[in-house]
Amino acid sequence: MSESPKHSVKDIFVDGPIDPAFIATSIAKHATRMDIGAHEIFLGQVRADPVITPSPAEVRQQVTAIEYTAYRPMALERMTAIREEAFTKWPTMTCLHVHHSLGVIPAGQLCFMVFASAPHRIAAREAVAWVVDRIKAELPIFGREILSDSTHLWKTNL
Amino acid sequence: MEVLLFGLVAEHAGTDRLVLEASTLEGLRSSLEERIPQLANLSYATAVDRSVVHGDMPLTGSEEIAVLPPFAGG
Repeated sequence: MSESPKHSVKDIFVDGPIDPAFIATSIAKHATRMDIGAHEIFLGQVRADPVITPSPAEVRQQVTAIEYTAYRPMALERMTAIREEAFTKWPTMTCLHVHHSLGVIPAGQLCFMVFASAPHRIAAREAVAWVVDRIKAELPIFGREILSDSTHLWKTNL
Repeated sequence: MEVLLFGLVAEHAGTDRLVLEASTLEGLRSSLEERIPQLANLSYATAVDRSVVHGDMPLTGSEEIAVLPPFAGG
């Protein structure tokens, strides 16, 4: 893995779903930081979207899982840049943790977490909303939606 | 030069990497669209050394090239 001169590149990717117990542990780890007054967490969950497969056979299907893949080196470089920009925009933010799943994530499971902490709520809240949007728009992560009949579609962020 | 393919583009190509020769990025896109005809009807981005490049640029052959279908993170 490449490293920029100033900041090490953190790996955001985890194999499989994000365990809610891991999130609870992440929160608990901040108990020693007496300067933190606010945590803001965004969690992405795989949705069982209804899908009507295109012609010839218009059949109602459902998304049963999403298989995520990524162009890892570029995704991690983009994430490092986004992280640095976030700390510049919200200098009071004390920490920012990002995790994204790779592999097959069944509907109902968590696949994405953005967790910011700050002395006060506004910085944490704004930073999380901004980081989530930037990640969705700029990180080369790809999602193969596996349907109930085992066919698939490719997810696209709007 | 080696070209990395991802997601739907890799599925259409039947492989996740191709070896193509080109001296410009536009030239490379033409070779890619010949090799993967479905690209003509697809929205995709080309990344050179891990940054998306929209226009043309000269290539020396040592760059890391990737063909990226629409992003779907989150």
